[in-house]
Amino acid sequence: MSGLIGDSAVVTDPAARGALAIAEIVPELVVRPGCRDEVAACVADTAARGGALVPLGLGVHRGLGHPPVRYDVALVTTRLARVVDYTPADMTVTVESGVTLAALQELLATEGQWLPLDPPLPALTTVGGLIAADLGGPLRASQGRVRDFVIGIAVVTAEGHAARAGGRVVKNVAGYDLMKLFTGSLGTLAVVTEATFKVRPQPAATRCLALSCRDATGALALAERFTADGLAALSTTVVLELGAAASRSVLLCLVGGVEEDIAAQRARVLALAQRTGAELTLDAAGADPAAQACVEPVRDFVRTAPGNVVVRAATLPRRAGALAAAICGAVAGEAGRCLLDPRAGGVTLALESAGPAHTIAALRSVTAAHGARLVVERWPAALADTIEVWSPLPAALPLMRRMKAALDPRGTLAPGRFVGRL
Amino acid sequence: MAAHYQASLSGVFRRRLRAIVGERGLLSARADRTVYECDGYTLERSVPELVVLPETTEQVAGVVRAAAQAGVPFVPRGAGTGLSGGCLPAPAPLMVCVSRMRRIRALNLANRRAVVEAGVVNAAVSRAVQAAGLQYVPDPSSQNACTIGGNVAENSGGPHTLKYGVTTNHLLGVELVLPDGEVMELGDAIEDTLGYDLTGVACGSEGTFGIVTAATLRLEPLPEGVTTMLAVFETVADATTTVSRIIASGIVPAALEMMDRTIVEAVEAAYHFGFPTDAGAILIVEIDGPAAGLPALAARVTEICRASGARSVRIAADEAERAALWKSRKRAFGAVGRLAPSYCTQDGVVPRTRLPEILARIEEIGARHRLRIGNVFHAGDGNIHPIILYDERDRDQVVRVLEAGREILAACVALGGSVTGEHGIGVEKMRELGLLFGGDDLALMRRVRAVFDPAGRANPGKIFPTPGGCVEQRAPRRQAAV
Repeated sequence: MSGLIGDSAVVTDPAARGALAIAEIVPELVVRPGCRDEVAACVADTAARGGALVPLGLGVHRGLGHPPVRYDVALVTTRLARVVDYTPADMTVTVESGVTLAALQELLATEGQWLPLDPPLPALTTVGGLIAADLGGPLRASQGRVRDFVIGIAVVTAEGHAARAGGRVVKNVAGYDLMKLFTGSLGTLAVVTEATFKVRPQPAATRCLALSCRDATGALALAERFTADGLAALSTTVVLELGAAASRSVLLCLVGGVEEDIAAQRARVLALAQRTGAELTLDAAGADPAAQACVEPVRDFVRTAPGNVVVRAATLPRRAGALAAAICGAVAGEAGRCLLDPRAGGVTLALESAGPAHTIAALRSVTAAHGARLVVERWPAALADTIEVWSPLPAALPLMRRMKAALDPRGTLAPGRFVGRL
Repeated sequence: MAAHYQASLSGVFRRRLRAIVGERGLLSARADRTVYECDGYTLERSVPELVVLPETTEQVAGVVRAAAQAGVPFVPRGAGTGLSGGCLPAPAPLMVCVSRMRRIRALNLANRRAVVEAGVVNAAVSRAVQAAGLQYVPDPSSQNACTIGGNVAENSGGPHTLKYGVTTNHLLGVELVLPDGEVMELGDAIEDTLGYDLTGVACGSEGTFGIVTAATLRLEPLPEGVTTMLAVFETVADATTTVSRIIASGIVPAALEMMDRTIVEAVEAAYHFGFPTDAGAILIVEIDGPAAGLPALAARVTEICRASGARSVRIAADEAERAALWKSRKRAFGAVGRLAPSYCTQDGVVPRTRLPEILARIEEIGARHRLRIGNVFHAGDGNIHPIILYDERDRDQVVRVLEAGREILAACVALGGSVTGEHGIGVEKMRELGLLFGGDDLALMRRVRAVFDPAGRANPGKIFPTPGGCVEQRAPRRQAAV
């Protein structure tokens, strides 16, 4: 590896390797290629040796996914940090995959634009990680998901060949949409080296409103009214406290647009709140530190919540309230917190302690009973060997298995990490 | 990988298909099959040996399984409104047409989902849900004829994709009959993707993965308010500059469409909307969203148009005027027949800031080849549709038309764009695909295709250049709506 990308880009130091362990599996090497060709060389070399690598950015999301069946090399993309092209009036930006989302947003903000994706820990999330793990946040119900914004991609294949798909224009049907294939594939099909996004103008202004409800039932009822009302908020999140603090439940709402829109939406929120007896506890501009103090913990929740049980469930929007209630019921008595995004149909639960051994099994059966999906983001170490991170398994798993076999026949890229241990 | 099918379909095979779809599901008389010889791309034609019209997924699967066992390649077809020859029969002898699969299987209005069969017409989806205040957003100009199956195959766009995206952004799942006859569910009604996003890859695969028999669609609420404006400019350059300025100002209109003088003249003669026929270009700007903010937004758009040289800016007074304006735009291609005996539509994309350059290039290319070219296009997306006017009876003109089309696409690529924004590669642009992608890129795409269709029997001879093919070359002729 040193011969391919230089001594300084190959790290053997135990501490540095240990810092990128996945489920206690420590890679033999950490490589930090500086350009696409070096990525290709690292992948080709690993493949030639019959080894396996896991592509990583800053590694903060590497807890997602099954432990790799083999993990010789951590391929860190953070040196791929160039902005390749940004033409604000085209509303497109092309960056290398090691650029952090925070850096990208900072660049876009200079032109009054943003990529309306708000995954946890944006300062520590690279573009490659954003795409590979298909990360999202509270904005996704109103703004869309990663797949809606990636219009071009450059990758290195499992054999170490550079390839691309899509382009730099917002509308393009030339060739297959491989952007979709690699988005959310958790590094198991190719290493993303560069991506082009379509971006959007930032809302002229945003306003953050927090409504405190008497209990979880009240908060869920209020969320239901928000959805039924068709309120065009940027994000809506219900925060339910479990255990001793169960009396406190908050609905957090971010509205945005031109002044007239914000005023109209704010009035609707307040009218809905009044009818349900909720109390307005925050009414501040989105940029206000008080608003940030509410929004950021919700955004980062899945990564920063304390404890070692974190799960995400997904269902249809109008079933999410009932699902959240059932999930909270399944862990009654435990201390923790549950977040509901009613319009996205997403429920995220974090427990402070592991709870009884069967907690995850109980959560799985509750979500299954609701026809929902479950992603186990964090689990007690004792379950490491048996955990099924994604459930239920998709009907098209056989086709997915063929896809993995076709694009990575030797199992070079993050083997065993993905859905169904692909 | 591509199948080279030589023998004609056997009597045994035909009888087997008849047993599956019945007598009325089978077209074997040449007169019945001729209509299937091409789609809206008429330069190449070939009459399929046999057309089957299944009515259920089970029938499609049965037909495809029989084809697999007999080693017969097939081409899927919806309404045949495609514009790149994506459902040109050759070299496959068997056409599987999903136009009789017209059931809306499920509407879940509370959760804004619809499950529809592949033969359901695009506009029928919105019609079925509009009373509930919902819509299916992608609205290709052929929306009153084109099918959802075809929309998925081509990843179709339309005027309102600027703000809302194309088909793939509204598609959550598909029921796909793989080329071996197996029925596979990709994706479902739940938003989060589980596993690889095969739905996303299948969308726009132009029938090369198998036959899509049903789709799960996301519906959107109708916007609270809509304002549609018509801005009139002296020159095309002023209009395209305005497009860039509107986008740069932070406004994302729902639609931003341009017609140049050639097209405006034809459209006005056909539909009498009241367009000024002496204008260099007109822009249709539509903004939508919460009603409260719209007047302020409309004022800003008006201001930008005027500052960029607009002669006038008119706001559609009511829904009737708005509908008339859109009808004129969406039927622009129908009006072009007034200008010349034949026309050929191109579909290219450039970054929006390069619109003035590409339009100047198109003018130059037209002049050099002594061809009149009109422009009507999705300006906000940088998606151009130059319409080359000519007379197909003149072989020399035909040669110049083809050459001019290729030069326009090459110019789009040189400006950082693409050779197709919404019509697809089909057979028309197989060669042009090589302007965008190299051998390794195409090899990767072929590997992905082989996952779905290892024998290369689903719509062979499309997208990727293949040797051979038995296609009757004709003059480019009138093409369907865009």
